[in-house]
Amino acid sequence: MAKRIGSLDDMEQLRKRIVSGIDPNKTMVTICGGTGCQAYGSDKVFQAFTEEVKRQGVDVEVGVKATGCHGFCERGVVIVILPEEICYLRVRVEDVPEIVSETLVQHKVIERLTYEDPQTGEKSVKESDIPFYKHQSRIVFGKNRFIDPKSIDDYIAIGGYEALAKALCQMTPEQVMDEVKKANIRGRGGGGFPAAVKWQTTRSSPSDVKYVIVNCDEGDPGAYMDRSLMEGNPHSVLEGLTIGAYAIGAHKGFVYVRQEYPLATENTICAIEKAEEYGFLGKNIMNSGFDFTVEVERGAGAFVSGESSALMSAIEGRVGEPRPKYIRTSVSGIWGKPSNLNNVETWANVPLVISKGADWYTSIGTEGSKGTKIFSLVGKVNNTGLVEVPMGTTLREIIYDIGGGILNGKKFKAVQTGGPSGGCIPEQFLDKPVDFDELSKVGAMMGSGGMIVMDEDNCMVDVARYFVNFLSDESCGKCVPCREGLRHYHKILERIVSGEGRESDIELLQDLSDVIKDASLCALGQTAPNPVLTTIQYFRDEYEAHIKERRCPAKVCKDLISFYIEPDKCKACMICLRNCPVGAISGDKGLIHVIDQGKCTKCGTCLDLCPTRFNAVTKLSGEPVPPPPLKREVTREKGSEQ
Amino acid sequence: MTEAQEELLSELRETHGYKTQTEVVMDALESLAGRSSASFGSKLSHGVEPHEREEVMRKVIATASKVDEIIDKHGKNDSQLIQILLEIQREYNWLPKEALLWLSERLGVSINRIYQIATFYKAFSLVPRGRHLVRVCMGTACHVRGSMTLSDRASQLLNIDPGETTKDMRFSFETVNCLGCCALGPVIVIDGEYHSKPSTPELEKLLNECA
Repeated sequence: MAKRIGSLDDMEQLRKRIVSGIDPNKTMVTICGGTGCQAYGSDKVFQAFTEEVKRQGVDVEVGVKATGCHGFCERGVVIVILPEEICYLRVRVEDVPEIVSETLVQHKVIERLTYEDPQTGEKSVKESDIPFYKHQSRIVFGKNRFIDPKSIDDYIAIGGYEALAKALCQMTPEQVMDEVKKANIRGRGGGGFPAAVKWQTTRSSPSDVKYVIVNCDEGDPGAYMDRSLMEGNPHSVLEGLTIGAYAIGAHKGFVYVRQEYPLATENTICAIEKAEEYGFLGKNIMNSGFDFTVEVERGAGAFVSGESSALMSAIEGRVGEPRPKYIRTSVSGIWGKPSNLNNVETWANVPLVISKGADWYTSIGTEGSKGTKIFSLVGKVNNTGLVEVPMGTTLREIIYDIGGGILNGKKFKAVQTGGPSGGCIPEQFLDKPVDFDELSKVGAMMGSGGMIVMDEDNCMVDVARYFVNFLSDESCGKCVPCREGLRHYHKILERIVSGEGRESDIELLQDLSDVIKDASLCALGQTAPNPVLTTIQYFRDEYEAHIKERRCPAKVCKDLISFYIEPDKCKACMICLRNCPVGAISGDKGLIHVIDQGKCTKCGTCLDLCPTRFNAVTKLSGEPVPPPPLKREVTREKGSEQ
Repeated sequence: MTEAQEELLSELRETHGYKTQTEVVMDALESLAGRSSASFGSKLSHGVEPHEREEVMRKVIATASKVDEIIDKHGKNDSQLIQILLEIQREYNWLPKEALLWLSERLGVSINRIYQIATFYKAFSLVPRGRHLVRVCMGTACHVRGSMTLSDRASQLLNIDPGETTKDMRFSFETVNCLGCCALGPVIVIDGEYHSKPSTPELEKLLNECA
């Protein structure tokens, strides 16, 4: 049973004791256990390492640890060998014996597993030398890689819960509040509302019962940083929450986790139990007289439940629909009591501000947005993953320096930020600094930090239709402008992508946007027009091509494209013919293959499977499909294929 | 109740053994207490052959006991309604009607409110689901990398639309609005295992491996 921590001294001693038990020179293999790496089999890699170090007799000298997400999901499974910081990427179970015998026993680096720059071919052995990591400043997210999420001692060893001890033992709630106010932490969930202002409202609302809540209902498609924090470093969120509760005067907290994140639920519950053992949660925390308990609530799958009032009614066991907020939830929230809700990343920033001070914190970032922000850099970019950069870093730095540019050398078209409430930002704004205020000026928003990169093969009308489809599916239906407005949006956009668009449709979409924006009840509806309006504003030509020429320039919209096998490139290899799921391809060995346009369901299997050395399948849009060639025998030059 | 409705109800009672909801639950209560051997919920067992009635009854009673167990774990409090429903869903992979009726009686919550929650949230299913759950992520990152195509292919291979279950109860197929593993897109999740951008032949193989 762990000893209860009763003072700042106790805390320091505990940390020293834990640290003294760790040999800084002992080799430690940290294996990323984030969702991305898990999909690539990190569990099996972890198991293989544990067995292999034993088999090769180095289990005393070498420790193996499964940690939270490291961020470089594209190259999973990611492992880092400490203290040398050797980083191996795309590690599979088969590589484990070699890593143990070569690197762990003989201290030799295995070149093929290290990072190689796709452009220059330059190798990087150390994690911090890899461009993806080099240009980041991971003050919040970077701790993940040192911590086994199920071990509270790991968190304490790197200074965890020191901020809590400092706040409870040396500061009054007012002083904590002042520090957070000075640091100007703004809500990372997307709104960017100053956390201290919200806290103050709940604090000054008259009531003996108050609540604090962690919003881990991360529903924005394309964003997963909250998941990775909650799964990888749950204690940092709990610590921030407890400090906030102390400042606000709340004695009960909730962590609302979306149903799709079972591991986050599991790790949070485990973290709460461990924190209770040390007395970081419970009665009279660190003998300060402050009581605080936390409960985990699981969501049941509804995007709109991430809205504060909706989330609170979900905690009450009711349908998670938003209500009009003439009275804010910080005044009247769960069961009518003042309730302060912040998102996962916001809470995780709080301990930093308390332990390092607001002056340090405000030295990072821009005028109006302080600190760092974690982005999920995904889509058509080389290095997908989670990146943390100071506020004010430009889009170009994020996409090109960290992200390594566009996939397959294609041309950048747009980056979508802010989830369904955000917008698509075209190339001319790539040098915009990213913070709460700058992106709003071009019609998008930073939002919760999803950053989806699109290339020339993405159709912007299709993207707008995608978001409208998403939102009309997720609209709770309570207010008419959102429910009906989105349905009409959807109808009009469906019409355009299927080639039935009318000349007046663009103006109709714009008119409708004003109504949806002004009259909807909650942010879901109020911001729903953003993806439509930004795509019209910056990519109007694509809308016009769909409407006027029945052509999809990016060749995405199914009704406007045809798949076609170029007769002079087809080598009649039978691959597409055999794999076509509807049998739409005719031909034979030595007989050029032809797609029956009537039967074709445009699934794209033929395009995917046609060997790249032939490259015979193409997509056509806005032009008729040429008739099959009269002569279908393949003429092969001697000594060529096969 | 109008005269016509009453007439209809008594006719149903006579011909089909139809009972009102309260009667269904009362029957169940008595069966559980061992006081009555009456069949639990004739509407639930409607259409069931006489020789199967006992088995159906046993199943219903087992369900009710399971629900009791779950309620005990979470506390008999209507604020726990969603958490309880989530657990019932996890237990059965759907929300059986008898479980909901029983829950309504035990918590003193109207069946309307339970149905409102069960239809609002995506985690719940009011129809039985297949043995294997196939989900295609429709998040933005997956979308721009071709999740529509992936979903169409899965749909074609399984021969059902999203939201449906195959007749042999082997597969249920769903599309979901972001699973939070955006770096791997497009992603398909089969029974909790994530697969990144499978080709048609690979997908076919994965599905064939599901018994």
